[in-house]
Amino acid sequence: MKRSVKNTVLLLALTFGNGGCSFFNVDDTVDPNSPAVESVLTNASRAQLNQLGIGVQSATRNGLSNYYLVSGSIGREVYNLASTELTWTTELLGSMSGGLSPTTLFNGHYADFSQTRRRAEIFLRSAEQSNATAPDALTEAQKQGIRGFSNTVKAFVMLNTLNMQYQNGIRLTFSDLATPGDLLKPGPFGTYEASLAAIKGLLDEGAAQLSTAGDDFAFPVSVGYAGFNKPATYRKFNRAVAARVAMYQQDWVGMLSVLDESFLDRNGPLTTGPVYTFSTTAGDLVNPLFQALNTTNSPVVAQNAFVSDAEPGDTRVARKVTRRTTPRTFNGLNGVYDASLYATNTDPVSILRNEELILMYAEAKIQTGQLAEAVTVLNRVRTSAGLQPLAIAKPAVIGNKDALIDELLNQRRYSLWYEGHRWFDVRRYNRLDQLPNDAPNQRVYDQLIRPFAEVQWDAKNPQ
Amino acid sequence: MSSFLSKLYPSLTLSLLWISPVLAQDRTLSGKVTATDGSLLPGVNVVVKGFVSGGVSDANGSYSIRVPASAPTLVFSFIGYLTQEVNIPPSSDLLNATLVEDVQNLEEVIVTGLATSIKRSNAANAVTRLSADELVGATRPATLDAAMSGKLIGANIQQNNGAPGGGVSIKLRGISSINGTSEPLYVIDGVFANNAQFANGAGAGPFTGAGAGQDQAPNRISDLNPADVESIDVLKGPSAAAIYGTRANAGVVIITTKRGKAGKTRVSFGQDVGFASAIRLQGSSNWSLDPVGPEGQNKFDYVFGNGQPGSGNPAEVALWQEASSEGKIYDYEKIIYGHVGVISNTRLSVSGGNEKTRFYLAAGRNDETGIQQKTGFQRNSIRVNIDHQLAKWIDVSVGSNYLRTGAQRSFSGNDNRGVSIGYSLAYTPNYAQLFPVNGVYPNSRYTGDNPLAIADRTINDEQTNRFVQSFSSNIYFLQQPNRTLKLALAGGVDYLNTEGEVYFPEDLQSQRQRATPGASRFSKSRSANTNLQAFLIYNWKIGGKVDLTSQAGTVRLVTDNDLSYIQGEGLLPGQKNPNNAGVRTASETFQSWQDVGLVAQQEANFEDKIIGTLGIRFDKSSLNGNHQQWYPFPRASLAVNVANFGFWSFAPVNQLKLRGAYGQTGGVPVFGNTFTPLVTTLIDGRLLGTQAPATVGNPNIEPETAQEVELGVDVGLWRNKVTLEATIYDKTVFNLLNPYTLSSGSGVTQYNAYPVGDLQNRGVELGIGFTPVERTRFAWTAQVQYWANRSKITRLEIPNTVVGPGFAWARNQLRLGESPNRWYGTPNVPDADGIVQATGYETSQPRYQISFSNQFRFFKNFEFSFLLHTSQGNFNGNVTTRHKDTGGTSVDWSSVENLWETVGVPNGMARRASNPNVTTRMYIQDASYVRLRETALYYTVPAAFLSSLFGKVVSSVRIGASAVNLLTFTDYQGYDPEVSNFGNQSVGSNVDNAVFPNSKRIFFHLAVDF
Repeated sequence: MKRSVKNTVLLLALTFGNGGCSFFNVDDTVDPNSPAVESVLTNASRAQLNQLGIGVQSATRNGLSNYYLVSGSIGREVYNLASTELTWTTELLGSMSGGLSPTTLFNGHYADFSQTRRRAEIFLRSAEQSNATAPDALTEAQKQGIRGFSNTVKAFVMLNTLNMQYQNGIRLTFSDLATPGDLLKPGPFGTYEASLAAIKGLLDEGAAQLSTAGDDFAFPVSVGYAGFNKPATYRKFNRAVAARVAMYQQDWVGMLSVLDESFLDRNGPLTTGPVYTFSTTAGDLVNPLFQALNTTNSPVVAQNAFVSDAEPGDTRVARKVTRRTTPRTFNGLNGVYDASLYATNTDPVSILRNEELILMYAEAKIQTGQLAEAVTVLNRVRTSAGLQPLAIAKPAVIGNKDALIDELLNQRRYSLWYEGHRWFDVRRYNRLDQLPNDAPNQRVYDQLIRPFAEVQWDAKNPQ
Repeated sequence: MSSFLSKLYPSLTLSLLWISPVLAQDRTLSGKVTATDGSLLPGVNVVVKGFVSGGVSDANGSYSIRVPASAPTLVFSFIGYLTQEVNIPPSSDLLNATLVEDVQNLEEVIVTGLATSIKRSNAANAVTRLSADELVGATRPATLDAAMSGKLIGANIQQNNGAPGGGVSIKLRGISSINGTSEPLYVIDGVFANNAQFANGAGAGPFTGAGAGQDQAPNRISDLNPADVESIDVLKGPSAAAIYGTRANAGVVIITTKRGKAGKTRVSFGQDVGFASAIRLQGSSNWSLDPVGPEGQNKFDYVFGNGQPGSGNPAEVALWQEASSEGKIYDYEKIIYGHVGVISNTRLSVSGGNEKTRFYLAAGRNDETGIQQKTGFQRNSIRVNIDHQLAKWIDVSVGSNYLRTGAQRSFSGNDNRGVSIGYSLAYTPNYAQLFPVNGVYPNSRYTGDNPLAIADRTINDEQTNRFVQSFSSNIYFLQQPNRTLKLALAGGVDYLNTEGEVYFPEDLQSQRQRATPGASRFSKSRSANTNLQAFLIYNWKIGGKVDLTSQAGTVRLVTDNDLSYIQGEGLLPGQKNPNNAGVRTASETFQSWQDVGLVAQQEANFEDKIIGTLGIRFDKSSLNGNHQQWYPFPRASLAVNVANFGFWSFAPVNQLKLRGAYGQTGGVPVFGNTFTPLVTTLIDGRLLGTQAPATVGNPNIEPETAQEVELGVDVGLWRNKVTLEATIYDKTVFNLLNPYTLSSGSGVTQYNAYPVGDLQNRGVELGIGFTPVERTRFAWTAQVQYWANRSKITRLEIPNTVVGPGFAWARNQLRLGESPNRWYGTPNVPDADGIVQATGYETSQPRYQISFSNQFRFFKNFEFSFLLHTSQGNFNGNVTTRHKDTGGTSVDWSSVENLWETVGVPNGMARRASNPNVTTRMYIQDASYVRLRETALYYTVPAAFLSSLFGKVVSSVRIGASAVNLLTFTDYQGYDPEVSNFGNQSVGSNVDNAVFPNSKRIFFHLAVDF
């Protein structure tokens, strides 16, 4: 027996021996795959701040395709004839019983835009809390630049979210976005009007901050912002977004005033403006709106009236759609033209361009009774599209405010097709009933429903 | 019960071959042990009653044992036979014994702890044991887990889809976790086994685009060779599995492999040849210009028009007319899924040994082709098990298993790019012309790709190399008649590397539509599990009447994973190597975790009358928020064998056991649940940025815990000719871990893991075994099992939350007072508080299941068996119909049955979502079924005939035929009522969406023993 005890002790020693205590230890695991968020919330280095700033710019591209495709479908600009996801041709077009499902796919952009908003907030707060020392320390002007940039980004995505939610409103406050525990305490939803006012406030705050932000941003700016990559020029973009807000607020005077500070150039190229860039480099995004022609899986096709309603010779039609070799008939819809705004999957996507500023300017002029000036700039858009000036093409509309509004909306339809405007434009003018329904039982929604998670959250956590 | 210590490990039963030197004034008894049919029984355990060690019978059934002069009784025990006590004749040293076969398995030894076991008649839990014979004795389900289907009372087992190579989900006593799979822990000969499904990227963007977690990979239990399995013990709930601590919330499946027996070396060879075919195909429908709608619309007006008369696309009509006139109408479903798969299983084993060393060597090869061409499954297995008695006080057992498995599963199920074959079939009319012309597949007009091209030209292949090594050793410090003390060491390694290959050639239709045509992904998933345990076990007696077993020990489990892939998009013609691709993506993920457990347990047995156990385990894990926190998991159980008491005089009842057990187990968080990582991003193709993730980790996460109370009664009548086992249980999972859905407007969609509430599972399990006839020429045994489980969320700290994957019109939600398996969908109606809520439907969990198993033996040499299994009240979310209706391919498309409050509208239109009367009701479909799960007929060639032919060379030849899932009775309209598009999900299962059809299998068998 003694021998067995001795041997056993030996065996045990072998088993638990060298790492004797390690047998009973387990690791205090550190994420082996990624850095932790906490590493940038306080005491972020300059390099970390730069990366956060780039991250925000990258994130603004998220949700874009869902936003354009959903608003474009409800606005009857395009249809997504996806055989693998029938809700694009049923639920989204209003033909499914009960309308939009509480857990609908079509709020996908909501979380994306909200994440961009939070990321901009984290960037701002990390900059505020950065204790980097010279020469890495941020100057006050540089901090103002980051504040102005972040507030502009936040306002931009909030506006897009609000466009989709409309009278549902959006959440205006969060108790503290940077502290994990406080994420659980979102503020109440503001009304549509209050939400617009809050967005305007954020933009104005950002513009003021950008005015005192020195010559350069402290962080790298994407080439997509060429011409808008310094606080002074980025502020012009901020004012352009503010013009959109004023447009939704129908504050035509205010709109003219912010347009004045934007990059509006009535005689300049229509294409001037910042863009989202894309590349095929791993880790980057490709243009999610690009599609090859004549695909059969889920082609995005134009609602046919985009072509049939167009004035003859409108070059925008040929530039934006391409006739399919074989029409795609699916679920009661007939797709004859593919959306073809982008030639490759690395083509940039315009964020906001001079063409839209000119149209906003025209609208404000019509609404403030300066019809002649409106006609002048509308002609600028028309002739750029290969159309005759209004005096020749539609002499009757000149001097007629209502007819000019029709003309304006028509130019917006063709200039800004499938870029997230049509649905909101017809809604602004209470003309949703004028949008076509191509199959029985379809109807045009006036807004999306509030996301399931938000409804359930408020049900469980009354404000 | 003196023999049960020697049954600590069935494998070691035969190895305790010494007699304690204490027995000084002994005499030697010897004799032969035979079965009732006269055959000699080797390996029977022979001990003096009241002692713990003894001897075993040799290859000729002879034994010899030294016994104290005063010893009154010998106990003979052997697996599969009732234990026999025989009085020692005072005057003779010769003592023969005859053992009766234990038809209802009361004597079998079942596991009660990490290092102890108990015979069934004394067990306090309803532990199910499946023997090799029960698992694969009759026929050959594809995988080990599939072989449990219909046999495991209390389990909901489901084949997720029919693609070769497995994909089976097992839920024991309802679901035990929301956060992940709720699959039980598998332990093979003491080795914690990997049952992961490794992503291979088949669902990634360049391929089906279905999304992460939708690769439909096989679960890794499919690697194991069923032919090597001796038995499976299933600890179904925390009351039985508490000793496994934080790994056991979903139960434990303990697999014991075959081991050698002392005696003549036995060579066994087996060959099965089988054929697989689809259980059911859904068919397609014909086209015509006949009016089917109320305004005279024809089918083309509806499917290829806007529903107005004459709106049908004339191009489609022309294509149909052309194909019809040329006779080119095809049933594409049959062309793709109508093949007969060929299955070949070959196995060879050599086993034997002597009293000191025993061995089992086995090699096996399984090779099957699927019902779709170019799909298949292969398994190659080599196993070596060796048991050796080093000295009286030490034995060692090792088992080594090398496995190489491969699966080719093609592309089916959910999809976002129109390439999944099931989806494509739903939209492909029978007049489509998809066959290759001059070797080139034409484009499909109807979906993203030509399904024939996908079946023929794409690759979805997986190869796994796996090595499972087990080790155990018992070291005795004390070996006395009344007490033994031993150290039981065990452990092992499960190392595997799964290599996935997914490939779409650059000239496929769906790839040509991409900016970077051609895509391949090569993934490597390496996982290593290591576990080690050491237990001190002290067995002693009080007053000669109470057997006590005390144990204390420790367990350590380490897992280390390295998951990587390289993907290429934009491939050169014919080139698969992503190295040459235009866009290359590489990914690398590391995972590692460690668990440590401390265990103490006390068992007491008063003369097989009252048997009690108390135990506790403490666990800590690196996966918990606080890695140093110990979590306790207690257990207690009591069994009372009323019929063993002296006062019991009612002879017909030979067993009456009342039993109760309580236990707790845990479930650890998933790796990564505690982290909130910054994610990297790129813009302009060069600027590297970081972003806060959309989800946040919970650094304070604790394990979810489950507790279970199980009560039961076991009755044996007329010497166990009829047995009854009845069990009720109440299992509650506390602090269920689930993602906590936050206000998405906050920019964070969820906490990745959060203790969201409690889940209760209550159920009943009834088993009746009986032997209606037992004659020499005819014997019939049968078992009926009934089980039912109900799940309910009893506490919910979070809002109503959608859980699991699924589709907008058929999803699961967490709601207070409801089962997480319940379906929800339209209509959406405001509740009492004015909040719009989805309407609830039935659950995917069956209301009850019944299995009826029968074995017949007749004319001595024939055996016939069948297993009927029914699952009732389980509902699937079937969205396949929706696609077939939209594509015009459902078989009853043109029938007008006025469905869904329509009048005169063809079914295919009446069922469309645009019908305002159609709600989720349509998609939630009753998937109850009755299935002839297994049936088999075998003939054993008479021994006399064999010896006349082969002399002594061939000892046994058995031939037979069998079938799996031969008959299915169901009203369900999909391929098969057993389906789960999203694989092994605890919730979100039972979605039927363009899956690979399940198959039935027919086999012919030959088994030869030398």
